[in-house]
Amino acid sequence: MVRPAPDGGAGAAGSAEPGTGAAGPGDAVFRPDRRRRTTWTSDLSVAEAAAVRRVGLVPAGFVMGTAVMQLAAAGGQLYGQWGGLTGQSLGRSGGYSEAYPCAHGYGFGANVQEHYGFSVEDAVLAASLAEGYRLAIERLGDEATQLAAHGVVGVDLFFENLVGSSGTATFFARGTAVVHPGTPPLPSPFLTNASGQHFERLIALGYVPAGLAVGVGAVYVQPNCQARGALAIVGPNRQIPSAIAVARSRARSSLAATAHRSADGVVHTEWTDRRVHRYGESWDQLTIAVGTAVRRYSSEAPPLTPRPVIPLRP
Amino acid sequence: MSPAPSTAPGIDTALAALRAPFVAGDQHTFLSDLSVGELVLLEEIGFRPVDIVSGAGAASWNTQFTTAGTEGTMWGRAIATAIDNARAGILEELHSRRADGVVAMRLELEREHANLLTCTMLGTAVAATGGRPDGAHPFATTLSARDFHLLVRAGYHAVGIVIGVSVVGFAARSAAQQLGLARDNVELSDQTTALYSAREQAMEMMEREASELHADGVVEVQLQERPVNAMLTHAVEFIAVGTAVCRGTGGHRDLDPEFQLTLEDPPDTTFGDR
Repeated sequence: MVRPAPDGGAGAAGSAEPGTGAAGPGDAVFRPDRRRRTTWTSDLSVAEAAAVRRVGLVPAGFVMGTAVMQLAAAGGQLYGQWGGLTGQSLGRSGGYSEAYPCAHGYGFGANVQEHYGFSVEDAVLAASLAEGYRLAIERLGDEATQLAAHGVVGVDLFFENLVGSSGTATFFARGTAVVHPGTPPLPSPFLTNASGQHFERLIALGYVPAGLAVGVGAVYVQPNCQARGALAIVGPNRQIPSAIAVARSRARSSLAATAHRSADGVVHTEWTDRRVHRYGESWDQLTIAVGTAVRRYSSEAPPLTPRPVIPLRP
Repeated sequence: MSPAPSTAPGIDTALAALRAPFVAGDQHTFLSDLSVGELVLLEEIGFRPVDIVSGAGAASWNTQFTTAGTEGTMWGRAIATAIDNARAGILEELHSRRADGVVAMRLELEREHANLLTCTMLGTAVAATGGRPDGAHPFATTLSARDFHLLVRAGYHAVGIVIGVSVVGFAARSAAQQLGLARDNVELSDQTTALYSAREQAMEMMEREASELHADGVVEVQLQERPVNAMLTHAVEFIAVGTAVCRGTGGHRDLDPEFQLTLEDPPDTTFGDR
């Protein structure tokens, strides 16, 4: 997520205390002033640290932002208990929803509930995940600000413990804050998920990271008989691909929306599609995309026509 | 991209640019899952990133009673349909983004329940900065940005993903063989033959697809061969996916690679743990 303007972020600006919001980490878990400032920490590899130094930056410290979230979900599984669900209306979810009736069609009723399927966009879950990432990223930025850093490189953004019914997730953002000695601090430090070496290349090629861009999409899928792999119903399947397409498209648009406000484009997008199993045979089709929003600051980057080589001894 | 100021790249200019308020350029924000280095490689051969595009398809089949003499056409066709639908989806997205192609495409095949296959594709859509010939269809390729760069420099262009799928059944072994009592050291010629004919049919299909695209050849073919030996199902599944390419009007250009000899010592192989 692109960091807000200097005075926009909750608990970010001016104040010496990080995350002063009620739900934040509260009374300064991170107190750089109390530490000895003669040394710095980092999770950079030796090669990464060298690359960052070549650019003219020095590590200021290892920084981290984290948030444990209760994940709200739209409760899509409840809809499965209701009969006669047809068409495109699924109450409050508001987004994409589609019914996939049983494809067997046998018997008088021809409406075998256990073979019924539907997909419904879980915008609530997507919003919970996006909020978790936002908090983690914001707190990461806060720590970097306290170190008077200009940016954070190699940001690793992930969440853990998304386990079935427990419904909680821990969001992490961590990386190494870097500083350009002798330069006043930026309104807010830049953040990038690119490694030290990629960051060096980014700068050399005339791009500067503006911030992280995050996109999340979620569709709750209750498979019908065909999507469960019933042997008697075969052929092309629409339910699974449609759920993937919608989840991906939502993630793509929110990635684009966050980037559009502050950058020319997004690179290094780490794209993750995953299925999170829910009750019975249902699952959440999740898409999470995390990239670096970049601005082009110079068009003077040298042309680059790499020379092909064959190593004589691999 | 917004018009960039003409200053030499360096960290000072970069940080200064971050202090200035952002002014959006006239072009749309691009999205890419490639690194900047890869984007530069593409820019060098005349392609700029547009968007991340994706496609997905799924199909199921009935594996039961696929054995000797049956060719599992329904099964093979289902797999082809899943891949084909994903390909159609990503090409449709390319059309809607007015992009010319998708490079470094991730193609994933995921199986569920032994008879349901989902194929997903995802990659960075690119547009040719110099325009492409009229009537040229958008292309998809699994070639990485590096390979695509080399392909274009060598005088070729990608025309699309081509696939070949075949499923061939074979005879079940006797009960004694099944139980592992057979002590003879013999070839299971039924299975070898089935694999051969599966390969043959899949490659034929792939060549047919390539010739429909008027391609000169197919590169980076990836193969997946999977025997399925269940109670009532004895078959070999064969899937081939590759990138069809055409030679450009300028003909083949030699890349003229430079030979390099590294001065670094290789690891000790005598007492190393290899």
